[in-house]
Amino acid sequence: MKNPFVATSNENRWILPVSVLSLVVGLMTAMAIVGQANRSNRVTLLDNDARTRLSLGTLDLSADNEKLRSEIKVLRENNTRLEEAVASNSDSAAELNESLKATKAAAGLTEVEGPGVTVTLRDSTQAPSEALDVSGQIIHDTDVLRVINELRNAGAEAISVNNRRVGLGTNVRCVGTTILVDESRIASPVVIRAIGEADTLFGGINLPGGILSELKAVDPNMAEVAVVRKMRLPAFSGVTTFKVAKTVPPEPAAE
Amino acid sequence: MILIPILALFVGVALGFLLRPETSGILSIYLSLAVLAGIDSVLGGLRSAMEAKFQAAVFITGFLSNIVIALFMAAFGDMIGLNLYFAAVLVMGWRVFMNLSLIRRFAITRIGDAIARRQAEKEHSVRQSETLG
Repeated sequence: MKNPFVATSNENRWILPVSVLSLVVGLMTAMAIVGQANRSNRVTLLDNDARTRLSLGTLDLSADNEKLRSEIKVLRENNTRLEEAVASNSDSAAELNESLKATKAAAGLTEVEGPGVTVTLRDSTQAPSEALDVSGQIIHDTDVLRVINELRNAGAEAISVNNRRVGLGTNVRCVGTTILVDESRIASPVVIRAIGEADTLFGGINLPGGILSELKAVDPNMAEVAVVRKMRLPAFSGVTTFKVAKTVPPEPAAE
Repeated sequence: MILIPILALFVGVALGFLLRPETSGILSIYLSLAVLAGIDSVLGGLRSAMEAKFQAAVFITGFLSNIVIALFMAAFGDMIGLNLYFAAVLVMGWRVFMNLSLIRRFAITRIGDAIARRQAEKEHSVRQSETLG
C-alpha cells in the first residue's frame, strides 16, 4: 500500500529539468573558461583598453631588451676598437677603416654630437574642454611619426626618440595607450632630439599648418621646441643584420 | 536529491572539456554572461523546489528568457556605448546570493526539523516502553 505521507513523483518533478539545465550550464561554463585557444579569438573583439591590459602580460620583455641592448653596445665597442687596431697597422687599412667609420656613422651606428633642436610632446593636462573626445589631447604614435618625418624633411642628420636613436627599420606604433618605438614602450612626455642645422630644423618644425601648430591649437603646452647648441645622441641599438636580403656586386653600367 | 543537479553540473563541465567545442567570435564574449544567467536560473529552480512551488514551465521559460534578456542587454549596451552588461551581471549575481541564502535557510530548517522529530520519536518510544513496563 502506498504511504500517502511519503513524497511522491509530484514532489520530485523538479529534478529532471533542473538537472538537465545544470548540465547545460556546466557545458557552457567549460566553454566559457578562457583558454589559450580562444584568448586570441577574443583579443581582436575587445576594445583598446582591455587589449592593452592583456598585452601587457605578454609584452613585458623590456628588461630582456635592455640587457641585449647593452650587450650589443659592448660588442660594437669591441668591434670599433679592433678596427682601430687594424688601422694603426697600415695605410690601406687606415683608409678602409675611415670609409667603414663613415658608413657606420651614416647608418646611425655611432654616437654623434652636434647642434640641433629638441621637440617635447606632452599629453594635455587641461580638462577636456568642449567635446567628450579627449583623443586630440593625447600624444599618439602618428604625432611622433609626423614630427620625425618633418625633422628629416628639414635636414636632420640624426634623430632620437626618448634617448633611443632612430635608425634602420625603426618603427613607431601604438599599443593601446602606449607608444612603442622599436618594441620599447614610451609615453608622454616624448622627447625627440635631432641634430642638424639648428635654425633650419627650428623653422621646419614650426611650419604654419604643420604638426606642431596642430597640437598647439589644442593646448599650447602640448608641444615645445628648443634650439640646442650642442648635444649627443646615442648609437642605434637595434638589429642591423639582414636575414633575407643579400648584397650583390654592382652591375656593369649599361650604355 | 539535491545531489543529482550538482552531479549533472560536473558531468556538463567534464563533457565541455572533453568535446572542446570551438567558441569563436562574439559568442565567446557573451558566453560568460549566459553562464551566469544559467547558474541564476538553476539556483532559482532549486529554491522553488525547496519551497514546493516548482513549475517546470516557469523554470524553463525563466532559464531561456534570462539568457536572452542578458545577452540582449549586453549587445544593446555595446551598441549604444553604455555598459548595460554590468546591470545584467549585478542583478543576476545578486539573485545568486539571494537564492543561495534562501536555500541555506531551507536546508537548515529541514535538518533542524528532522533532528527535533527524531528526538520526539525517541522520547515517545521511551515513554511508551515505560508505560508498558
